[in-house]
Amino acid sequence: MNFMIEFGVIQLLVALLGVVIGIIFGALPGMTATMAIAIFLPLTYAYDLSTSLYLLLGLYVGGISGGLIPAILINIPGTPSSITTGFDGHPMAKRGEAVRALRIGITASLIGGLISLTVLAFFTPVLAKLAIQFSAVEKFLIILFAMTVIAALSRGNMTKGIFAGFLGVFISLMGVFPDNQKLRLIPSLLTTELRDGFQLLPVLIGLFAFSQMFSEAELGMRQMLMKDNVLLDGKETRKFSFKDFKGQIINLFRSGLIGTFIGVLPGVGGSAASLMSYSQCKAWSKHPEKLGTGEVEGLVASETANNGLTGGALVPLLSLGIPGDSTTAVLIGAFMLQGVQVGPLFITQNPDIWNTVLFGLLLSNILMFAVMFWPIKFLANIIKIPMSKLYPAVVLMSVVGAFSTRNGNMTDVVTLIVFGIVGYLFSKIGLPATTFLIGFILGRDLEKYFIDSLKGSGGDLSVFFSRPIGLGIWALIVGFLIYAFLDNRRAHREKLA
Amino acid sequence: MKKVLALVLVLVLSLSVLTGCANKQKAVNSFDGKNVRVVIGSTSTTGDSYMIADMTMRYLAKQLNANTKVDAVGAGPAFEAISTAKPDGETIMMFHDMTYLGVLFGAFEEKYALENMIVGPRVGTNPGAAFGAKAAAPYANMKEMADYLKANPSEHVRVNIEAGGVSHIGFISYYEWVVNQYGQDVADRMDVIVGGSTSEKLQMLWDGNTDVIFADYSSLLQYTDPKVEDKLRVKFVALLDEIDGVDVPTFAELGVTLNGEPFSFSKDFIIYLPKDTPAEYIAELDKAAEAVAKDPAFIEEMAKQKYKAAFMPAAEAKAYITEKRDSLEALIKAAPSLDELTVK
Repeated sequence: MNFMIEFGVIQLLVALLGVVIGIIFGALPGMTATMAIAIFLPLTYAYDLSTSLYLLLGLYVGGISGGLIPAILINIPGTPSSITTGFDGHPMAKRGEAVRALRIGITASLIGGLISLTVLAFFTPVLAKLAIQFSAVEKFLIILFAMTVIAALSRGNMTKGIFAGFLGVFISLMGVFPDNQKLRLIPSLLTTELRDGFQLLPVLIGLFAFSQMFSEAELGMRQMLMKDNVLLDGKETRKFSFKDFKGQIINLFRSGLIGTFIGVLPGVGGSAASLMSYSQCKAWSKHPEKLGTGEVEGLVASETANNGLTGGALVPLLSLGIPGDSTTAVLIGAFMLQGVQVGPLFITQNPDIWNTVLFGLLLSNILMFAVMFWPIKFLANIIKIPMSKLYPAVVLMSVVGAFSTRNGNMTDVVTLIVFGIVGYLFSKIGLPATTFLIGFILGRDLEKYFIDSLKGSGGDLSVFFSRPIGLGIWALIVGFLIYAFLDNRRAHREKLA
Repeated sequence: MKKVLALVLVLVLSLSVLTGCANKQKAVNSFDGKNVRVVIGSTSTTGDSYMIADMTMRYLAKQLNANTKVDAVGAGPAFEAISTAKPDGETIMMFHDMTYLGVLFGAFEEKYALENMIVGPRVGTNPGAAFGAKAAAPYANMKEMADYLKANPSEHVRVNIEAGGVSHIGFISYYEWVVNQYGQDVADRMDVIVGGSTSEKLQMLWDGNTDVIFADYSSLLQYTDPKVEDKLRVKFVALLDEIDGVDVPTFAELGVTLNGEPFSFSKDFIIYLPKDTPAEYIAELDKAAEAVAKDPAFIEEMAKQKYKAAFMPAAEAKAYITEKRDSLEALIKAAPSLDELTVK
């Protein structure tokens, strides 16, 4: 049996190319790691499987990591899994710490990637067994647990936050119901356009980018995103130092492991990883009220978790033949096109490919860090561009991104504009767009696993309370909700005082 | 500097416009030199729809001297694309029987019926549709499954299928046969569970949320290996059609009949074009598809995945697929609805 890894200059260059292109895809609003892999998949015919894997793993790691750049600099998540990155990253950038925030995010991404790689390398068989213990019931509860972040983010504004979250869930259910292929919640005039509902990326960019632009347009766009007076002689007030991670060790490991664990569970999306990690960071923080104002721990929690996902999502793919997320669902195609079956016997029958995956993931993480960490200071200057010049470019990129979501569908461009207006109106009436978006992202999965659980139990609702793992997750949900409500009351009292 | 930049931009724009014009002049009812978008009715890049389209298009592109790009957009968007695209050879669809089954089952509107598009040549078939169960299931095949239900009046078997797909037609043909051979009581104890992708169906099987799943033969094969641990191991309980070199009973061999005839079903992968596409394109496609289907490398690549290269010219394919649709229409109309099959 061959255990040797094929590696040389070609493989190094291919991995580097993958990482760079992946970062570009991740950084462009509307483009994702999944799209990058889907586009490059047919090109892998030109290579053998191991060289293809270097390219595709580079795209995967780069694509997940690149999302932090627009999230921090212009408060537009480049990928759905970097929503929480902007919560603290963007306020840091606005107060003149853009390079610091980016470098903290990049370092956290590297650590998250390495944690998940370690778990992948040493615990895959154990985790594969664990993954199949998580049935639709546990997945429903995990999604519900991820939704508790809505309560955490609604501190001081609980009613509106939860209402917006439910509205997001409701809107996410528009479109065809997959079980019977019937349309629901769609006006009869738009049955063709909205058959598959609103797409996530145009909704996300609309709510974040377009609504922000509408609001800024109202105030005038002569300024830059960062206020003029925050720089000291044109330089950043606080520079990055590895000492920034002092006191973050537990946060790093907790977030990395949450990301990995969510990745291990097939069908639970990547956004749930960063959302859950962020809400746990808030729950364990010594000063939760500061999260969302530019705290290092919030940024670390988000970025460690979303890169932690990468190794985790490969666990069920390589050990069960079941993709852990939408990106690995495309990645499986590379194996199939080369005639290799991933599944229960993959690791024992293909040790050389298994070792290549591990090494390719390690290499991609290191290359991602090298490619992003130093040159990022030049990109950080984006924040110094006046909004009147920056925003037209953002509009152009957003429209192109939305249009390419489904390979050229104008409905997605209209969605982008509509949700830009929705986000703008939300800000006027004080409804949080973030909790709406979280409801929208998790809504379909919540419904799917709820229905799948009931299908299996023949409609018996007690199934949600009959399994030990499920009861453990219920305890976490209830505990966290009690904490969030008490914290909300404290916020009210602080406001009154 | 600004003037130079403006001049360069003007030159680039002019050049691109001229290039566009040049392409237009070249494109006279031929695929030659064109960029062709091939939409498929699945969003998966691992299922048979993508695999067969991808294989076919790599060979077909060379024959047509065209750049083809397979777009896994899903059934709804694919039907919409083919009904709204210009008949200029730049958008085509390659899909299997769900093209007409979706309309017959009422999952898609009549505007997507076969009559509203042009049926091109058939390039291949996939006979590999299979039902699988847990290795420890108390029946070896689907005939024994019906026997098991008859012998155990308190037992139910949950069968996971997709709405409006090939699994739906496979199940209702079996259901009708069970009603006729074993009685309504036995048929009523087969509960339908509607599920999605093969991955999701496998998870439902492992979770104990279903007893029988429907998937492509090649996608389940690895889970039947004796070395696979018990919890994950699967066994085939029936095939819809015969697969070369595979020793699993087919519906026909188990005695499943439809209107008294042995029932078998293979997926036909056909190229579809927008309505009003000029005949020159169809003729060109027929010629190229025939050459591809004869190519030993293509035949071998298809066979590796248990697919068959099976060329049929457009005119013949149209008559064949329309007849296949019409023969299944009566079965679909007579069968209980999905609501009745799922809610007991």
